[in-house]
Amino acid sequence: MAAPLVVRRELFSLVNILGGISQLGPRGLGACSNHRKCSQTRFELLQRPNTFFHTAAYLSSTPFTITVTDEPDTLFQKVVVLVKAHDRAVLDSYEFFATMAAKELGITMGKVFEPPKDIERLTLLKSVHIYKKHRVQYEMRTHYRSIELLHVTGCTAQVYLEYIQRNLPEGVAMEVTKTAMEKIPDHILEPMWKDHPIDDKSSK
Amino acid sequence: MAASLSFTGSARLLTALARSSALYNSFESRSFHATAVCCKNRAARIRIGKGDKPLTYEQALHPHQIAHRKGWLSQHASNLKGEQGAAERTVEDVFIRRFMFGTFHGCLANEVVIKRRGNVLVVCALMLQKMPPQKFYFFIGYSESLLSHFYKCPVKLEIQTLQEKAVYKYV
Repeated sequence: MAAPLVVRRELFSLVNILGGISQLGPRGLGACSNHRKCSQTRFELLQRPNTFFHTAAYLSSTPFTITVTDEPDTLFQKVVVLVKAHDRAVLDSYEFFATMAAKELGITMGKVFEPPKDIERLTLLKSVHIYKKHRVQYEMRTHYRSIELLHVTGCTAQVYLEYIQRNLPEGVAMEVTKTAMEKIPDHILEPMWKDHPIDDKSSK
Repeated sequence: MAASLSFTGSARLLTALARSSALYNSFESRSFHATAVCCKNRAARIRIGKGDKPLTYEQALHPHQIAHRKGWLSQHASNLKGEQGAAERTVEDVFIRRFMFGTFHGCLANEVVIKRRGNVLVVCALMLQKMPPQKFYFFIGYSESLLSHFYKCPVKLEIQTLQEKAVYKYV
């Protein structure tokens, strides 16, 4: 489909780019260069009449390998994911994403709440020399969001956390706290006095 | 020895001044220009003028509007509470901004935005259409490979081009 010839200041030309650069994925075709007039072929991604080219980063990942083992899976009573960022809106959208992912995977969610923010303030002198009474203050705000998952297996937790972490936005840090459940060791299952009855009644 | 050192020092200064001055008849008035540390209530603020100077959105809003009406130019997690490595990231950012300014000379429409996602460094920039696209692609590939080798991490450039600078207001 060719758009009609545009006779304006913006002049378009077709550029075949897929051969040249290897790393980046498919981009919009179409770039502006002066003093050349051609028709514009519409690429499926770009729908704009003014074509200015842009490049986008495509992050590729290697396919996962599935391993099957006989040893029993670790069981987690609680997995707490604490996310930190400077921007509250980013945390809102990330929380929506994480809760939706957990719901789709069928993971039981515990508390999803917002711990109070931390503000780190610095008070510095405003001027290079003297003027001690005039200062300037900077602050760094850290907002938190806590998501709790209850009663998950090791495999589920690993898959979910990997998915969550691959989609972590820039400028956001995550801390994961896992509470695992262990089987009680056999030697403390039964009380000791059942096997070895106490017989020092005649100590006097 | 001190005298000879000062002589070479002043000779170098004069040659630097000569190289930097565009017009040779300004050689008559030699002056040493030194800027003080940027005062905190004048940093990143462009003062109101006649009304003919165009400003982008980034330049028009002052730094106290960050997180209210402005976003962040450099996004990484090391300034959060309990995270390390803020100084290293800042030095990397300064180098990357100077590198982009020099490589795409005169083509930058707005400030460079640097994002760090995991290991990947994503550098986003708005460019003016001053060069043919083939040159742009060459520069993009060259910067990506050079910065990846320098910082030992994948560096990706996200470039978008415009006809002219997007003006927010005239000041």
